[in-house]
Amino acid sequence: MRGGVCVLRIVGEVDISNARALAEAIEGAVPNDATEVVVDLARTTYLDSAGVQLLIQLSERLKARRHELRVVVPDGAPVRAVLELAGLSKVIPLESAIDSGDQASAPGVP
Amino acid sequence: MGRRQLASRDTSLHYLVLQALLVGAAYYLAARLSLRLALIEENVTPLWPPTGIAVVAFLVFGRRIWPAIALAAFIVNAPITFSPLAAAATAAGNTVAPMVAAELLIRVGFRKEIDRTRDAMAIVLAAPSSMLISATIGAGTLVLSDAISARDFASAWAVWWTGDAMGVLVVAPFLLSLLYFRRRKGTSWARRAEACGLLLLITLVSLAVTRTTFGLMFLVLPLLGWAAWRFQQRGSAPAALLVSGIATWAAVHGWDVFRDGALFEKMLTLQAFNATVAFTSFFFAALVTERMRDRDALEQSAALLEERVRQRTKELSTEISERRSAEKRLRQRERQLADAQQVARVGSWEWLVKKDRVTWSDEMYRIHGYRPQEFPMTFEKAVELVVPEDLELIRQNVAAALTPGKDRILPTSEYRIRRTDGTERVLRGKAALHVDAAGEPLRLVGTVQDITEERRAERLHRIAETLQRSLLPDRLPAVPGVSMAARYVPTSTDADVGGDWFDVVQLPNGHLGVAIGDVAGHGLRAASTMGQLRMALRAYAIEENSPAAVIGRLELLVRTFLLSEMATLVYLVFDPESGAFTFANAGHPSPLVIEASGESHYLAEGLSPPIGAAQGPDSFVESSSHLSPGSTLLLFTDGLIERRRDPIHDGLARLRDVVAANPDSDLDTLCERILASLLAKEISDDVAILALRPISLAGSSSHIEMPAEPRALAPLRHTLRRWLREIDAGPQESYEILVACGEACANAIQHPYGAAEGSLQIDLGVLAGEIEVVVRDAGRWRPSSPGNGGNGLRLMKELMDSVEVESGQKGTVVRLRRRLGGGVLAERARTN
Repeated sequence: MRGGVCVLRIVGEVDISNARALAEAIEGAVPNDATEVVVDLARTTYLDSAGVQLLIQLSERLKARRHELRVVVPDGAPVRAVLELAGLSKVIPLESAIDSGDQASAPGVP
Repeated sequence: MGRRQLASRDTSLHYLVLQALLVGAAYYLAARLSLRLALIEENVTPLWPPTGIAVVAFLVFGRRIWPAIALAAFIVNAPITFSPLAAAATAAGNTVAPMVAAELLIRVGFRKEIDRTRDAMAIVLAAPSSMLISATIGAGTLVLSDAISARDFASAWAVWWTGDAMGVLVVAPFLLSLLYFRRRKGTSWARRAEACGLLLLITLVSLAVTRTTFGLMFLVLPLLGWAAWRFQQRGSAPAALLVSGIATWAAVHGWDVFRDGALFEKMLTLQAFNATVAFTSFFFAALVTERMRDRDALEQSAALLEERVRQRTKELSTEISERRSAEKRLRQRERQLADAQQVARVGSWEWLVKKDRVTWSDEMYRIHGYRPQEFPMTFEKAVELVVPEDLELIRQNVAAALTPGKDRILPTSEYRIRRTDGTERVLRGKAALHVDAAGEPLRLVGTVQDITEERRAERLHRIAETLQRSLLPDRLPAVPGVSMAARYVPTSTDADVGGDWFDVVQLPNGHLGVAIGDVAGHGLRAASTMGQLRMALRAYAIEENSPAAVIGRLELLVRTFLLSEMATLVYLVFDPESGAFTFANAGHPSPLVIEASGESHYLAEGLSPPIGAAQGPDSFVESSSHLSPGSTLLLFTDGLIERRRDPIHDGLARLRDVVAANPDSDLDTLCERILASLLAKEISDDVAILALRPISLAGSSSHIEMPAEPRALAPLRHTLRRWLREIDAGPQESYEILVACGEACANAIQHPYGAAEGSLQIDLGVLAGEIEVVVRDAGRWRPSSPGNGGNGLRLMKELMDSVEVESGQKGTVVRLRRRLGGGVLAERARTN
């Protein structure tokens, strides 16, 4: 975590067998002083509707805690096409890379 | 000739004539002889034997003999009388008198043997009385015919009467003795000599006393007594005849003893003497005979009694010996029963309910830890050793048994006792109730068996069985794209659990952990070690990807907790997606790789010492290899290749020969053929074999069965990825199909009504460039699922060309289709 931005990288597969546990782990990992939460799916090999659900619910809960969720997926990744198809991009902006501004952003920014 | 035949009346004429002639001749001759002894004139004699002959003839032949008597008497009298009429009259008297005498004797039941005093009495009374007739007629005739004067009638009558009477008394018994007195068989010569000597003595004495003037005639009487005593009628009758004959002769010829005196005086003396002789002889002889007969009868009955006693004694001794042998047999059976009870450890008991008497067999005492029959048993004593927990049960059983009813077998019960030395035994009791006529309990009988050892053995056996089950997987996991088969053959010589084991586990990353091992030793201890190793291996297999690391941790475990145990093991991790595998071998026979071509080689790499003999947890090495589809990996234990006296090399070569001979067999067949070819009939070591073969998923269709659980989704995706790769699907479309299938399976796992247990059936097919994935479950989807389910279905529809959902009674079928190479998302992006 740098400044107010919290970066979480999901490695491997997400399905119904681990979605709930993963959501709890992410929520627990986000510090209260973070302003932004970035979920990095670059190394996620599988993510189905359970994963989409997880991300939508996570976004809502983080909003309630005044955190902003952004999802980073590389352009060519198979996961990205499915996320778009599932309509996640309409709820959460999908970014192709973690920009340096995020990484440089200082904590405590409102 | 028997007496009966003589006595019978022979009607034959010849015989009758012969009798008559004989009798007549004897009568005549005796008459002529005795007439020479006449005292008065020429025809009155003091002894007239013909009368005796006539009486005997009438007694023997009956009345019909009278003509012979009469004729003979007439002929005798004719020359000595003055007229034929007188002779006829005299003859008539001489015939009638003996006939009357015989008739009288027959009437009083006279026995011709004269062996009773009453017979002697009869003849003594009958003879003189009947002879009154002949004397009167004879003497009367003499007077009438003027042969004598009337004055001489009395003396003539007396002489006549005494002569006739004496003839009967002296001659008749003699004749009868000759005719009827049976000779005793086997009469000794001494006895015959005695008889002859006695008769001679009597003759001499008789002659001597008659030749003296002294009245010493009584001296013959003792001799007559002797004859009667020693020889009865057979001796006394001849003796009497002899003595009377001599006396008569002496009287007639006027020998010394009869020299003086008148005729009447001599007559009286002679007749008195003769009568005394006759009476003495008859009575004494008859008396002796009678006494002897009584004695014989007494002796006979005594002998009979003695015989009976002897017989009874014999019977008794037989009975006694039979009883003794029966007792012996009984004792023998009792001993056999006791022996049998001891061998079977079964005791028996009886309880006479009303008398409250309990008896125990010897073995019952032993089972309870007592000496046989150490003390008298009672009911309370009998249940004294039963442990408190079971005592109530016993009492309840007894109470239930003692209810009226019928004879019945009681339920078998098991209970424990604690002997006085503190050892606990488990007993099984069986009992039966016998009731009396009224149905009241009479006695309880039963057996008790000590089943402690049986129970212990059963428990050990159960433990061993449980361990055995835990050692060997009941079935191998079904892994798509991988064919597997395994066999376990226990030893035929030792029914105990062996030391060989194998296991196949599906790891979370979709890899397979495959193990085969052998623990040194047999029995429960080896089985227990195997069980622990197997479970430990499963645990380590989840955590460690490296086979050498897994075996290293097992080594540590054994070193720490299972001291001095030794085990060999091959553990390998196989990736079904690629066919690659990594293996480590701890002192176990090397696995065999059989190529699809039939060529084979042993995997000699990756070899380390056995577990328990290694240098440390880090000393294990591993190696990698690859299995192409159609090739086979064969793991086995040493029992397969080791034979007594044969080098292991031979076994290894034989195994290669067998697999080379069966190149195209499916794995089950291959396993059977290997066992059939390599195993001897007597298997001294147990054998485990495990075969694994990757098979292509790219065929026309594949079937996958997986548990309806979320954790099974990841391995499924491994299989699907491999399938998609083998059917040459592109990366993007592969991922999209993967997600669609994942959604379908997730729905099937999450959403059917009822329990999520059961399995999913997944069929993969490719036909003319179009793939079809069918997912079947046993439940029913909700018509409209909120949230995720709806998203899933929508996503499936987005990702596939067609999605069909059929929900029926038996479950739900989801059918997904998509043409390969089309790029659905690209198209949709374009239409969007």
